[in-house]
Amino acid sequence: MDPVLTRLLIESAVKIGLLFGLVMTTVAYMSLVERRVSAWIQDRMGPNRVGPWGLLQPVADGIKFLFKEDIRPPHAHRTLYLLAPMLVFVPALVTTSIIPFGPPVRLFGYDIRLQIADVDNGILVVLAFASMGVYGIALAGWASRNKYSMMGGIRSSSQLISYELALGLSIVGVLMGAGSLRLDDIVRHQMAHGWNVLWQLPGFIIFMTASFAETNRLPFDLPEAETELVAGYHTEYSGLRFSMFYMAEYANMFTACCVAATLFFGGYHVPGLDRLGLPSGLAATVQVAAFAIKVAFFLFVFVWVRWTIPRFRYDQLMNLGWKVLLPLALLHLFWVGFIVMRGWI
Amino acid sequence: MPLLIGLILLVVTWTVIRAVFPGRPLVALVPVALAGAALLVLFYPALATVEFWAGLIGFVAILSALLVVIHPNPMMSVLFLILNLFCVALFYLMLQAEFLAALQIIVYAGAIMVLFLFVVMLLNLKAEEGLRIGTGPQRWGAFGLGLLFSGLMFWAIQNRGRLAYFAPESAGGGFGTAREVAGLLFTRHVFAFEAVSILLVAAMVGAVVLAKRKLG
Repeated sequence: MDPVLTRLLIESAVKIGLLFGLVMTTVAYMSLVERRVSAWIQDRMGPNRVGPWGLLQPVADGIKFLFKEDIRPPHAHRTLYLLAPMLVFVPALVTTSIIPFGPPVRLFGYDIRLQIADVDNGILVVLAFASMGVYGIALAGWASRNKYSMMGGIRSSSQLISYELALGLSIVGVLMGAGSLRLDDIVRHQMAHGWNVLWQLPGFIIFMTASFAETNRLPFDLPEAETELVAGYHTEYSGLRFSMFYMAEYANMFTACCVAATLFFGGYHVPGLDRLGLPSGLAATVQVAAFAIKVAFFLFVFVWVRWTIPRFRYDQLMNLGWKVLLPLALLHLFWVGFIVMRGWI
Repeated sequence: MPLLIGLILLVVTWTVIRAVFPGRPLVALVPVALAGAALLVLFYPALATVEFWAGLIGFVAILSALLVVIHPNPMMSVLFLILNLFCVALFYLMLQAEFLAALQIIVYAGAIMVLFLFVVMLLNLKAEEGLRIGTGPQRWGAFGLGLLFSGLMFWAIQNRGRLAYFAPESAGGGFGTAREVAGLLFTRHVFAFEAVSILLVAAMVGAVVLAKRKLG
């Protein structure tokens, strides 16, 4: 067999395995972090019994989910009911494959990129698969044949389509600055010209706000809104299928944080690192660690906001999306265009 | 011999996972299917060629397109249409038009189909209402037009070598990349592009006016 192809296949398989492990570990521990941080914010203890500081809690949760009875409501549309959790989960995982986690490194005599696929249209792939997640949620709501689930599903589809516009427009500013759709080019551009957040702060704020809506996190978690809709689109789910929705939410959050760090906070760039003259292996490690810290900070912000701001009303959500964020994003584009035209960046 | 060992390992894995999780066929199916696919690709290099995948995706595309029309449940029709759009996006990818592939997924599979789904959910169509076979002249008209179209397709495929339009060179270098598409849109086709956007705005305003009048 072709040695180039074999190498590519093996390298990709190893990277996919590692990334899958990384995402799943992050997701598992985010569920713990969420509960511990919420407890801290509300002046409680939080789960601290399983293992030291509750560190084994996610393992216990995983085992519990796996061995729960899988209840299928008899009135549900069988195929779609079973398919929906996977339709939510898979796009959430796919998007992480194009995030550059660090600079290219030399390992075992090969040049290896710390991303699975270096796609020319990287950021478009993120948008494409981010918009796929809505099908799982909408179908889960529809296939459950339950009015609360249905309401959740309909809300989710209209919410995601409204905020996708603001999300896309907030990214356009970054693309105009870098002149490329490749995530690696965007990071390199920021290395040369400073982080995008410095001159695109409105774009960053719009991006984060829209990300909260796209990942169905509070204050925009109207598709599940437990005070109005029982549990919204996943009311009828239990056991492993329920946990898939849960994991997809955290995986989406992880992706959103990675994209935010890459687009606006320089990705794996550490200012002033190249002046220290570190050996390349050490420098790469520091850069990967810097990326991890940036992502961890954004993940914390997601949790922080969830336990700080109460849920919006549905009309407030739509007004914010269409009447505030969208015009703001358009105005922001004028600002970015002005700067790029003057050649300041 | 390695193939045999691989197959035996697959069967053993399948049995073990099935024994540990008796109620969950998917838990066993997913890793075994992935490993099986890897084995196939390793031992039959023909499976890694573009021709094989083009055929497979073409088959899925045609099947899903048929199911869009035949399936009695409108919700399933919408889903098969999404599958079909994905197949088309994969075809763009094989032609190395990555930008078009991404746009196909974002615009059609991502945005427009969500609206379709939204409308089907709102109307809450019952399964039988989706399929209404036309009667009388409509049926014969449709049959005739279908026949005409398949004849046209057949003729096009027969003559694909002789027509300049079908030649791959006619697309030019960098076909389907963001730079190329943007260049064409903002230079050669700028008038048509702007005209279409004005048309869309007019349609949108018209829709809003009609909806508001109904509300009173």
